[in-house]
Amino acid sequence: MVQFANVVVYSYQYLLDPKVAGYISKEMQKESVVVFDEAHNIDNVCIEALSVSVRRQTLEGARRNLNKMRQEIEKFKATDAGRLRAEYNRLVEGLAQRGNLPFTDNWLSNPALPDDILKEAVPGNIRRAEHFLHVLRRLVQYLEGRLETDNVEKEGPVGFVASINTHAGIDQKTLKFCYDRLHSLMLTLEITDTDEFLHIQTICDFATLVGTYTRGFSIIIEPFDERMPHIPDPVLQLSCHDASLAIKPVFDRFQSVVITSGTLSPIDLYPRLLNFHPVVSRSFTMSLTRDCICPMVLTRGSDQLPVSTKFDMRSDLGVVRNYGRLLLEMASVVPDGIVCFFVSYSYMDGIVNSWNENGILKEIMQHKLVFIETQDVVETTLALDNYRKACDCGRGAIFFSVARGKVAEGIDFDRHYGRLVIMFGVPFQYTLSKILLARLEYLRDTFQIKEGDFLTFDALRQAAQCVGRVIRSKADYGMMIFADKRYSRHDKRSKLPGWILSHLRDAHLNLSTDMALHIAREFLRKMAQPYDRAGGSGRKTLLSQEDVEKMGDGILNEMQY
Amino acid sequence: MNNGNGRRLNGETEEDDDDEGSEGDLDAWERTYADERSWESLQEDESGLLRPVDNTTLYHAQYRRRIRSLSSQATTARIQKGLIRYLYIVVDLSRAAAEMDYRPSRMAVVAKHVEAFIREFFDQNPLSQLGLVTIKDGIAHCLTDLGGSPESHVKALMGKLECSGESSLQNALDLVHGYLNQIPSYGHREVLILYSALSTCDPGDILETIQKCKKSKMRCSVIGISAEIFICKHLCQETGGSYSVAMDESHFKELILEHAPPPPAIAEFAIANLIKMGFPQRAAESSIAICSCHKEAKVGGGYTCPRCKARVCELPTECRICGLTLISSPHLARSYHHLFPIVPFDEVSPSVLNDPHNRLPRSCFGCQQSFPNPGNKPSLRVACPKCKQHFCLDCDIYIHESLHNCPGCESFRHSKSPIATEE
Repeated sequence: MVQFANVVVYSYQYLLDPKVAGYISKEMQKESVVVFDEAHNIDNVCIEALSVSVRRQTLEGARRNLNKMRQEIEKFKATDAGRLRAEYNRLVEGLAQRGNLPFTDNWLSNPALPDDILKEAVPGNIRRAEHFLHVLRRLVQYLEGRLETDNVEKEGPVGFVASINTHAGIDQKTLKFCYDRLHSLMLTLEITDTDEFLHIQTICDFATLVGTYTRGFSIIIEPFDERMPHIPDPVLQLSCHDASLAIKPVFDRFQSVVITSGTLSPIDLYPRLLNFHPVVSRSFTMSLTRDCICPMVLTRGSDQLPVSTKFDMRSDLGVVRNYGRLLLEMASVVPDGIVCFFVSYSYMDGIVNSWNENGILKEIMQHKLVFIETQDVVETTLALDNYRKACDCGRGAIFFSVARGKVAEGIDFDRHYGRLVIMFGVPFQYTLSKILLARLEYLRDTFQIKEGDFLTFDALRQAAQCVGRVIRSKADYGMMIFADKRYSRHDKRSKLPGWILSHLRDAHLNLSTDMALHIAREFLRKMAQPYDRAGGSGRKTLLSQEDVEKMGDGILNEMQY
Repeated sequence: MNNGNGRRLNGETEEDDDDEGSEGDLDAWERTYADERSWESLQEDESGLLRPVDNTTLYHAQYRRRIRSLSSQATTARIQKGLIRYLYIVVDLSRAAAEMDYRPSRMAVVAKHVEAFIREFFDQNPLSQLGLVTIKDGIAHCLTDLGGSPESHVKALMGKLECSGESSLQNALDLVHGYLNQIPSYGHREVLILYSALSTCDPGDILETIQKCKKSKMRCSVIGISAEIFICKHLCQETGGSYSVAMDESHFKELILEHAPPPPAIAEFAIANLIKMGFPQRAAESSIAICSCHKEAKVGGGYTCPRCKARVCELPTECRICGLTLISSPHLARSYHHLFPIVPFDEVSPSVLNDPHNRLPRSCFGCQQSFPNPGNKPSLRVACPKCKQHFCLDCDIYIHESLHNCPGCESFRHSKSPIATEE
């Protein structure tokens, strides 16, 4: 079907994740134009496509799968030994999959990238099915041993492969072919229930990736989650740090690739992260007939105490109270819907609890109903639905959400569903996570990007993404409040996208709650006045076809001289 | 990327940030927040003496009103308008009405302007009737029934100015809907809601109520005092009314007075009917009769209903005994001019004024005051497109807003060609 379509719309993984791309995007022609929309998180998507995480359940499941496969092999040996021999012969000749695979087509569904797959015959020690299963069993045993450590361990792929070789006797080339071999074995055994065999596939993904790449990856073993030290939850993570690996085949294969987003800022960081040289790099401002956005940076409460979600200030009662009063005052002035973003689930829980104890939450609920996002998808969907109903019928509602959650990524709060968005704090990632630290070190060593810069960039990209939920058309209007004292610093503020910065006047910086209230009242009244949508007063913003043609002729005339 | 600030991870402490450039912003935000800076509008003339402030502001006010009247009478076509209006004013007395962004409080300002509106309404629509409803504590009360006497409405409103509790739009709409359903079909049903709250706390589904109002042909308009609310906008869009939000007190007055002239009738709702009306005669000065509105004997002037001969004190009114609408001919005449609006006058451009070949009248046709010499200022005279007479700005406003007749056209009604004045 793909060959007949003119336009194909699907998610990033279908093009970036090598495992899936081989199936789905095999038939895309070279002359296609690839557009990555909302691509501000593209580096994270690339990294996740090449990362694997292994837990105890994975290893136990893998053992079960291996047993099952051994039984299948025994069964086949008894009934149809010819098939296994045919597979063996094929592997000797280097055709890893059933049927002829022309070597010019690089899109094999292998977790490693096409250029890195060896086009050789499969090594001798895994050609026979039983031998292959023995190898896998030794690998699983080795991984189980590694998981029983009490300390956090971090290794590069080369060292890890070397230790696998010493302890389990599996060399690098064997590891590289694991995925192919497993795939071919599953085809031969005619296993259709691939969900059940997910665990052993994960192990083989892991093995192939670790065997293929020597740079840009780290293996991190954590015996427990940092935030809950008494619950043992060992996990072995192969995390990719280099976002350019996954996207390189796309750049090589397709003629035009466009990366676009409303919050792609700062724009010069992306070519460095993805390791490419952009032919055109442009940033456009929004053409609006009236100032329909009112961003504000609020740094203190009415009592002039600074507010922030900095780690050491989080439990400060003054800050909690100031945030609560900010929300209360805004709820009494802004009609219809308000959206609030917090930096994490735990922070949101804590502060809502404090507000409840203080009685601020009850006062807020007198003005508007309150809905909250949880980690459960069904609950959140229900909350969103009721939130919209409350806004529609005039009761007014507030939605509490988290900056890196599902709602912030996908849900729009346009028109009356979002008249005000408050970003409580700066949404930094959990900076003590080992993976993040490893990635920061890699970025510093390879790209000379400072850790602080990268963290700030990531936090502000997330904040911009959250506040951008509120404006979805030119006739829409909304206010945005960045409630943290750190936003008034130039290094943070300058990383916001241009369309927010162009509306962020100096008079709206460093506000306190009552000043913000005054600005909000005036803005809402001004925006409620009727206005001319087509922009008849000044520059035209809605161009008709003649206007566009005239513009084209004008440019043509210029080019002639 | 590297702006030389030194790298800081989130966990480390940062030094205190200084206020960047906040001193320079003091003037700006102070100016925005302070309402009264009247000394800034004083100006000096050439010799250094203070010019009285009134001139420019008055001129601008006049000009603005002209422009407004021009835009509101966009077509001079004869639009059918509802002359017999049954209007309910819903005043929101919830806790939001006690806010003090309008001085002394929103409630007081609203009441003052509603009083002015009531008088203006009966002035322009003598055949219509008005009622008052308030929303308090989530319940809608009917303050006065539909009636034609401005005094009783104003007195009832001023006596009941306390606010508390929530506001409920649905309850108000239900109440008004119940009352307006009972009026005869030739009347135009209208509701004007003055809404200060930001939300509505309803017992049921307000969207259903809106559909009910739409079906009963009620035209609901809302004037918001705080901000734009979606449900009010939806209500106005569905029922064909107008939604506006007031920016300040004077704007609110303008908005509410815009509802005094009759709105255009919606085509399928306006059924042409023959309506029975009575034109009572004034009784003699010495006659004694029992008045039907006061229920006591009165001497002297009153009107006698032509059908049932009951005595009423004032016109226009509805006879209490037989229900006949009683009016007098000046009342009808006052409603008539809404149907035949006067065309907006054209500005006389300065180029025409400066051209020495034109024989221009030296004084305004309406008030006979001479025009100042034309200079570079924008022109201070206008001309009627039909009779081509020149008028000054004051006469222009007076003719369009009060007189509703052009003196030039009335004077030369019988002549075929107007006085030849080149444009």
